[in-house]
Amino acid sequence: MTNPAANTTPVNWASADLHDPETFAAGIPHDTFAQMRAANGLTWTDAAPGDRSGFWSVTRHQELVTVSRDTSTFSSAVGHIQIYDIDEDALDARASMIDLDPPIHTRLRRLVSSAFTPRHVQQYEIAIRQRVRTCVDAFELAGGGDWVQMIAAPIPIGVICDLMGVPEKDHELMVELSDHLVAGTGNETLDPAAYGNTTELRLLPFNSPAAFGMSEYALRLGDERRANPADDLITKLIQADVDGEQLSDEEFANFFRLMIFAGNETTRSSMAHLAMHMVDFADQFDRARQDPSLLPSLTDEVIRYSSPILYFRRTVTTDTMLGGTELHKGDKIVMWYAAANFDESQFPDAQKFVADRPQVPAHVAFGGGGAHFCLGASLARLEVAILIEELVMRNLSLEIGDPLFVPSNFVNGIEHLPVTIIT
Amino acid sequence: MNEPNPNQDEQNKSTEDSECVVLVVDTNKCIGSGMCEMLEETIFLINEDTNLAEVLGGGALAAERAAVVVDRCPASAISVL
Repeated sequence: MTNPAANTTPVNWASADLHDPETFAAGIPHDTFAQMRAANGLTWTDAAPGDRSGFWSVTRHQELVTVSRDTSTFSSAVGHIQIYDIDEDALDARASMIDLDPPIHTRLRRLVSSAFTPRHVQQYEIAIRQRVRTCVDAFELAGGGDWVQMIAAPIPIGVICDLMGVPEKDHELMVELSDHLVAGTGNETLDPAAYGNTTELRLLPFNSPAAFGMSEYALRLGDERRANPADDLITKLIQADVDGEQLSDEEFANFFRLMIFAGNETTRSSMAHLAMHMVDFADQFDRARQDPSLLPSLTDEVIRYSSPILYFRRTVTTDTMLGGTELHKGDKIVMWYAAANFDESQFPDAQKFVADRPQVPAHVAFGGGGAHFCLGASLARLEVAILIEELVMRNLSLEIGDPLFVPSNFVNGIEHLPVTIIT
Repeated sequence: MNEPNPNQDEQNKSTEDSECVVLVVDTNKCIGSGMCEMLEETIFLINEDTNLAEVLGGGALAAERAAVVVDRCPASAISVL
């Protein structure tokens, strides 16, 4: 790890403690990120007690895209993709495509990628719209409620579970397990024996016992599909052939967990933020009501403004320069998507929410491109677009209470959001 | 519902009056996202066996439109020959 003081270029220290989930307790720390973007070079955050080692932050759009697309200089497989390092055995135990580099990453990704192409996801539209209508109908009938529980959580988990082949009766369990995974990124102490866990927490993704529960569930479902194959992704993974070999139980379970988590947590976050956008920027949604051709750009604006994943980390594999800062092999680089998405040089008046913001340059809520670009980007866009469309058509007047943000520096999630329909 | 394709009008215009270039896919970089197939379905196809993009016909496209396709590929796998 670099001692930043040894650098020949001046070092900027980050202006807030980015290790601390509390820094993110009221949402994206825009002022902090603005200061970091304005600095010459990258900014450094010192190590903190515990396993919180020091790291460089990338906050500008251009440098984030550079890091994102150069998987050989900026590795996902070395160290960890979270800020804190984990041991080699823990890394192996949780490896899925998200924490591997090409070419193995890409071989795994191709097992499922065809189900997520823009062309392919169109066939899910009717089923998604049905789910959305059911949820919005119930919400309207109740006159309001917890937007997260009634709208933002059930829709994405329903969609990804359908694709995977998880039966409806288990959807709530998947939400619960996914929530407990995220809890592992906060300050909360987790019960190591929860969900029947018998594995050391340090070996589990997010150090969360819920990861164990999800793996056990995946293996049971995998066994069922081995006996009775179906047209779903579980069956695809069970039957997968990677260089002549099948996925091991561990690889399969890790794959399953990644898909459920990524398909659920992220889109849920955008859908939760959407309710706040509809109130704060009602005029922009009125524009889309009058001109439906704005729906695609409005959808991307909701996702940019939400930035559901705050960061992913890479590890430098060879000495290099980035943004005027010398980086050394082994340095940690954190890509703050939520910072780059408000980079004024790419998004003029970035704090403004604009229904027809140009889609080039692309926001980086799905990543800055390269091998790890969000697999579910097209699916997420479709889900969010349908929800916006259904809400805008109904022309509901919403009043929102105080959101309860997920205390995490990793996801920009909302746990609860009281919303009332004004009549 | 259609995926965002804000450049459709420009495409139709530019096919007529700008010069053509040839696009190729680097299958070592391709992640099969299918963005190219969505933007230019007569030129790109996600192969069902490999799950990677392949170029149909000669891969010729109006230069302006080609720039959009190159830019939108999340894996930077498409380039002008």
